Order: sequence, then C-alpha cells, then structure tokens
Amino acid sequence: MSISNISGCIGCETCIKTCPTDVIRLDPNTKKAVIKYPEDCQICHLCRMYCPVDAITISPEKSIPVIVSWG
Amino acid sequence: MKEFINKYNLITKIIVFVGLPILLWSLGDFPRRTLLKDSISMLTILAFSIMIGQFFLTRGYRNIHNELKMSNLVKAHKFIGYIFIPILFIHPFLIVLPRYFESGVEPLEAFWTIVTSFNSTGVILGLTAWTLMLMIGITSLLRNKLSMNYKTWRILHGVLSISFLAIATWHVIELGRHSDLAMSIFYVIISAGGIMLLFNTYFLNNSQNRVVSK
Repeated sequence: MSISNISGCIGCETCIKTCPTDVIRLDPNTKKAVIKYPEDCQICHLCRMYCPVDAITISPEKSIPVIVSWG
Repeated sequence: MKEFINKYNLITKIIVFVGLPILLWSLGDFPRRTLLKDSISMLTILAFSIMIGQFFLTRGYRNIHNELKMSNLVKAHKFIGYIFIPILFIHPFLIVLPRYFESGVEPLEAFWTIVTSFNSTGVILGLTAWTLMLMIGITSLLRNKLSMNYKTWRILHGVLSISFLAIATWHVIELGRHSDLAMSIFYVIISAGGIMLLFNTYFLNNSQNRVVSK
C-alpha cells in the first residue's frame, strides 16, 4: 500500500517490468502506467528507482513500520 | 507616460509569466520531492513560461503599445532567449541528472529510455519541439550568415516559433509532472494568446497592408 502516484509517465513500461508483484499496469487508452493493484505493493522501490523520468512517488507515511522483536 | 507604460508592462509580465506559474505550482497537489528535483522542475516551468512571454516581447505587442521602443523590445527578447532557450534545450538531460545521486537506473540509460519511447505521444511531441527549438536557436545565432533578408528571416522565425509553441505546449500538458488542470489551462491561455498575437502580426497585418497598398 505504498506506491501513491505516477505523474509524468512516458509509457516506457520499465516499471511494469521491474515490479515483482505486478502492481503497475499499462493503461491501453492513455498508454501510460497506472497503479492497478496498490494493495500488493511491497515497497521494494524498484519501480521508482528504475523509472527514467522519476514519475513514481512512494508515500513514506504509508510504509509499513519495521517490526523488531522487542518493539 | 512612457516610463509608466514600461514599468506597468514589466510588472504585468513578471506577474503573469513568473508569479502565476510559481503560484500554481505552490497551490497544486504535487508530491514534494528532493530540493534538487523540485529546483529542476521549477527552473523548467519558469523557462517555459518565460519563453511563452517572448511572444509578448515582439513587434505585435509593440503595435498594441506604440509607446514602447522597438530596440528595447528586441534587446529584452534576445537577452531572455539566450538565457532560457539553453535551459529548455538541456532540460531532457536535467531530468536524468538526479540519477547520478541515486541508486537504480544509470543517467545515460534513463536518457536513452526516454528518447526511445516512441509509443508515447508526449515523447514524440517533445522531440519535435526540441528539434524546432534547435532550429530557432541556430537560425537566430546565424541570422547574418543566412542568405535571406531580414523580413524573410522574421517570417521564418515566427513560423518556427508558432510551431514550436503549439507542439511544446501539447508536450507539456501531455507529459508535464506539474501539468494539472489549472496549470494546463494557464499554459493553453498564454500560448494561445502568444500564437494569436504573432499570427496577427505576420499574417493578418501583412494582408491588411497589402489590401491598403493596392
């Protein structure tokens, strides 16, 4: 539930290929990437890191807090 | 009176072409990013807005405000052009600049992906606008070396500029990270105003003059 926004997408499909959980799909009408299954996002940041135009935003407030054994 | 008009013109232009984009950017619901990325975005937004402002620093605008001196207009037009055309010219490279400081895709690889994404209308428009801008820059810098008289060059410059602005505005609306509805409407209005002004100067005024001379 971390990926929050795709803005300025050029439709290169890199994020679709890099996402391990298929959260992002290509909108056939706009030919741009859309967040299709946000609940499956594992916050791996791969899509953000590999997006050539830095179009993907990952909201820190939605990140899952690190759970430690004593926490 | 002349001083008042010049001052009033300058203030209005700064508000419209610098103040309004900053205001729309600050009011927009855009994800905030690092200082470097937001600075690059802001620089590009301002460069584009000020480039549209160039259309209002031309002969057509002087026809509306006869009090303005043409030599001053040309000086301002050249000065702004030489500063902001290079910024727009290198903006595809500026987009990938933050990649030097982040993990993930390499800057050159990112740049190559951008310029080879031919399935994207926005990218095609961007490449076309970039080429037109290059032509505007070269024909302006080498104006004296081109074998054409000033009037012909002026029409060429106008036609290239109108084509550039129409395509670049479409590119910005299609791909711009900050092109929400308000920003898009703003760009459409000022671009349409600039294009109409230039169109009126080069084509309608010329045809009217021809009718009068007949």
